[in-house]
Amino acid sequence: MIGGAPSVQPMPVQGEARCFDEAAARQMELFVQDFGRMYRERNDALREVTRAHHGALLQLSAAAELKDDDTGVHIVRIGYLAEALALALDQSAGYARMLRKAAPMHDIGKIGIPDHVLKKPGPLTPDERQLMNRHAAMGAEILGRSHIPVFRMAAEVAVTHHERWDGSGYPAGLSGDAIPLSGRITAVVDFFDALTMDRVYRRAFSVETALEMLAAEKGRAFDPAVVDAFLANAADIDALRCRVTLERPSFDDLIDSP
Amino acid sequence: MKKILIVEDHLDIRKLLKMTLEFDDFEIHEASTGDAGWVLAQELQPDIVLLDVMMPGTLTGLDVCRRIKDDPRMRHTKVIMLTARVQASDREMGMAAGADDYLMKPFSTLQVLEKIYRMEATL
Repeated sequence: MIGGAPSVQPMPVQGEARCFDEAAARQMELFVQDFGRMYRERNDALREVTRAHHGALLQLSAAAELKDDDTGVHIVRIGYLAEALALALDQSAGYARMLRKAAPMHDIGKIGIPDHVLKKPGPLTPDERQLMNRHAAMGAEILGRSHIPVFRMAAEVAVTHHERWDGSGYPAGLSGDAIPLSGRITAVVDFFDALTMDRVYRRAFSVETALEMLAAEKGRAFDPAVVDAFLANAADIDALRCRVTLERPSFDDLIDSP
Repeated sequence: MKKILIVEDHLDIRKLLKMTLEFDDFEIHEASTGDAGWVLAQELQPDIVLLDVMMPGTLTGLDVCRRIKDDPRMRHTKVIMLTARVQASDREMGMAAGADDYLMKPFSTLQVLEKIYRMEATL
């Protein structure tokens, strides 16, 4: 054995098999070490790309919201509320976390809706309504080009958040469990959050009124189980809503929170 | 951080496994015989055990696997058997002893990590 074992090398204990040639073993360790370095670098690079992509899409979603009539905190709230509701529905922490990151992009497709339709004060004509409803599919098109799981989920949410439990929603007219859970959850938190915020054309509804309106849509627009979970945790969810409004977490917070 | 115990008598294989797991953040422990592995497993109650089938000493990997699976303190512990043999019988014996999964030697570095991640997700 030339040079003997390096000091970091654990000495074989009695009865322990050691069949590699010393030089070959050291060479192999270097290969593995290099491979490990590349593996980590590759994972870091993938994370970095995901982050940058996520940041850009959140900015675009915020731009779509601003075109509407909001200050931008609405979409961040949707993320945190969707996470809380997913946890209340006994989903895994991993699923809930991914929904927090994905749900805020549900209305990104509004970026493609002309302002005269998006901002129209009065009721929409059937043609305008049809155009407006295309935002769901447009959002899925923007988000769905990625293979990264969080964007796949975001695309799923975008295309299903206007489906209704009773099957009368759009764009596909899905009903019941055929609507992915991510879309059913986001639909509920979006409804509640929109009602409890001031709009240019009306004041915010009180929490009590909003909860009553939510309960009235149970089994109609919304999954009864999701509505029940929301109502059972209404105090906590509303406290979270107020906290997010107050603290205004950034997109980085939204992406990075554990 | 997940606790992983490697029980493998072959020094070089053990080292390569350890280096593979060091690609990520795991708390790694090692033993070179079934007997030492069983003692360490009771002490650590690890999340995942990589367990060689054939080892010198009184306890084989299958014995250690059975003991881990019988121990109520290690109900959460997942066992991955390391087997050199291509025969299906080895795998069947491992499954009969309660193993959660198995890895065939020579193992693919990425496959080791993928199996661990998949198990981690169920923990």
